[in-house]
Amino acid sequence: MVDAFLFWFLAIVTVLAGLSVVLMTNPIYSALSLVMTMVGVAALFVTLEAYFLAGVQLIVYAGAVMVLFVMVLMLFDLKHELQAFTRGKITGGVKIASVGIIAGLVVGAITLGTKALELSKAGAETSKPVVDSTKALAENLFLKNVFGFEALGVVLLVIAVGTVALSRTKGGTHARD
Amino acid sequence: MPLGGVIFITLFIAVFGVILIFLARATGGKAKRTNQAKMEIYECGIPEQEKKDTKISVKFYLTAILFILFDIEIIFMYPWAVHFKEFIANSYGPFVFISMMVFLAIFIFGLWWEIKSKALEWD
Amino acid sequence: MMNMGSTPFEITVNIIKTVLVFLMMVQLVPILVWVERRGSAFIQNRFGPNRIGPLGLMQLLADAVKFLTKEDFVPDKGNKYLFYAAPVFALIPAAIAYMAIPMSTPLIIGDSKFLIQGFEINVGIVFILGISSLAAYTILMAGWGSGSKFSLMGAMRASAQIISYELALGLSIVGVIMTYGTFNLTDIIQAQQGHLSFSFFSHQIESAFLPNWGIFYQPLGAIIFLAATFAESNRLPFDLAEGEAELVAGFHTEYGGFKMLMFFIGEYGHMMIASGLMATFFFGGYGIPYVTTKEVYEFFLSSTGVETTAHVLNTLVHFLSYNIKFIFFLWFFIHVRWTLPRFRYDQLMDLGWKTMLPWALANTIVTAIIIFASAQFSF
Repeated sequence: MVDAFLFWFLAIVTVLAGLSVVLMTNPIYSALSLVMTMVGVAALFVTLEAYFLAGVQLIVYAGAVMVLFVMVLMLFDLKHELQAFTRGKITGGVKIASVGIIAGLVVGAITLGTKALELSKAGAETSKPVVDSTKALAENLFLKNVFGFEALGVVLLVIAVGTVALSRTKGGTHARD
Repeated sequence: MPLGGVIFITLFIAVFGVILIFLARATGGKAKRTNQAKMEIYECGIPEQEKKDTKISVKFYLTAILFILFDIEIIFMYPWAVHFKEFIANSYGPFVFISMMVFLAIFIFGLWWEIKSKALEWD
Repeated sequence: MMNMGSTPFEITVNIIKTVLVFLMMVQLVPILVWVERRGSAFIQNRFGPNRIGPLGLMQLLADAVKFLTKEDFVPDKGNKYLFYAAPVFALIPAAIAYMAIPMSTPLIIGDSKFLIQGFEINVGIVFILGISSLAAYTILMAGWGSGSKFSLMGAMRASAQIISYELALGLSIVGVIMTYGTFNLTDIIQAQQGHLSFSFFSHQIESAFLPNWGIFYQPLGAIIFLAATFAESNRLPFDLAEGEAELVAGFHTEYGGFKMLMFFIGEYGHMMIASGLMATFFFGGYGIPYVTTKEVYEFFLSSTGVETTAHVLNTLVHFLSYNIKFIFFLWFFIHVRWTLPRFRYDQLMDLGWKTMLPWALANTIVTAIIIFASAQFSF
């Protein structure tokens, strides 16, 4: 019973934070709500007993990616964006359209989910309990899918080179303040 | 993992902080005597000089992006490090070692290139 | 999931324990500030506060009352919600991360086992790193909510510094994780008992002289970790975020009164996490050198004969041992602050990216090679 209460509380917090990303006018508030959504998703990972993944979600998503977002947003002068998004029929239309898409996704998820629930009840009794999730992760990464792992390293290298090259096209890293 | 405990103590600390702020407001009082000079930003005592077109350095963005990339690479090292001795005991040692060394070689090359190309020179 | 105990008695005790650990952190801050002010005064060859109370101990109480009665306003261009939210948010990551550090052996009374820490996390290190990487948001919210360019630039520089040193922090711990093979902090402490003994190329090396502490296994990792945690908590010599002569006070220029104190509670909280982790990873945690926790418990059991008393005494002795190491590192933080000059910002970023990150990588690679070679080959 306590598990159910915890899950519903976390789910409602995450969904509310996600909604406020879309519906708030100030972009900084949106970015901070996205941080709250990431933290909520990490907590939901803990309810699924994926402890290491929850920690990684906190370190990488909420601690690195969102810091980048918030830093860059704070460096800009946002008065024009604020005015552009708070009035007019176009923004109202955009908001209604986004709510409509979310409603469609929710209805589709429920419809498909009930079908998936019937299928998985048959397989639930035969699944073995998860003992050590990091061991399975390590085995998959370093033994079975080594090529994908190395390719990921190369992709990260490409991102690094690309970012530095991109920032050099217009004035670059030595731009005077 | 005691998730309920973590959530409880987070809410407790938040409520504690809010109560402290309200306590400070109640005892110290809201700003009663406000004049123009007190509400302005502190800038070494001179009136605020707002330049219209302050260009922000792009180095902050580069630092954050490179931090994300290297953070992801460090995260990949964690499951490897935890089970390293187990893998050695199960005779997967050389394979796992070589795979991670190749990954680290790519990482070191990226770091060396980034240092050599002076991407993070702060002046 | 909500495993805070099985009986209602256990659950209430565990919840009260988390509140107690938080209040302990908050109460430790005035003592630390007093030590800082008196200690810095003696280092600088002057008296510190010595008027109020014996030895100036009541100085912090007077300061707290002064801060409480200060006026409370938001600058015109600031954002009211973020301005108020930032100090409250400063307390949260520091407190939650500190609760995962074990402070003593578990207290076994009858059937229930109480751990002497806030809560037990089985992926301790990853949790602590994740929560303390949320500390960057405090600075960003404070800097932007003040609405001034100085605060914003101070906040940007501070957050860039923090994220640069988080890399060296995360990487220096990889060596420790490789050596002990677990994320759990209690297991790491249990593996650091007794005398130094490990197997090296199938010889068993034992030493009757050195304890089995982590610092003898990972000396370079310990140095890098210590330096990185100095930068994480914005202490001197990495103090440029609050550069007192340059950006006025950095991201907390516009704060006054109790909100400023809450920032300091957060900073000292990060100092406490750093000291606790240093003691846990490299100095044996709550263990007493040269003896194991079981030997101490057997000693108490044989001298008193009652199990409960033996457990309580065991817990107390190990708590004292942890506190000695903890307070030593806190004093070390304060001592270094008043000894070293401050780094310039570009020197600081160069140190983080070009010196500490390559050395931490070298540490990881050498540790991996040694562990691999000593298990595969033998002389």
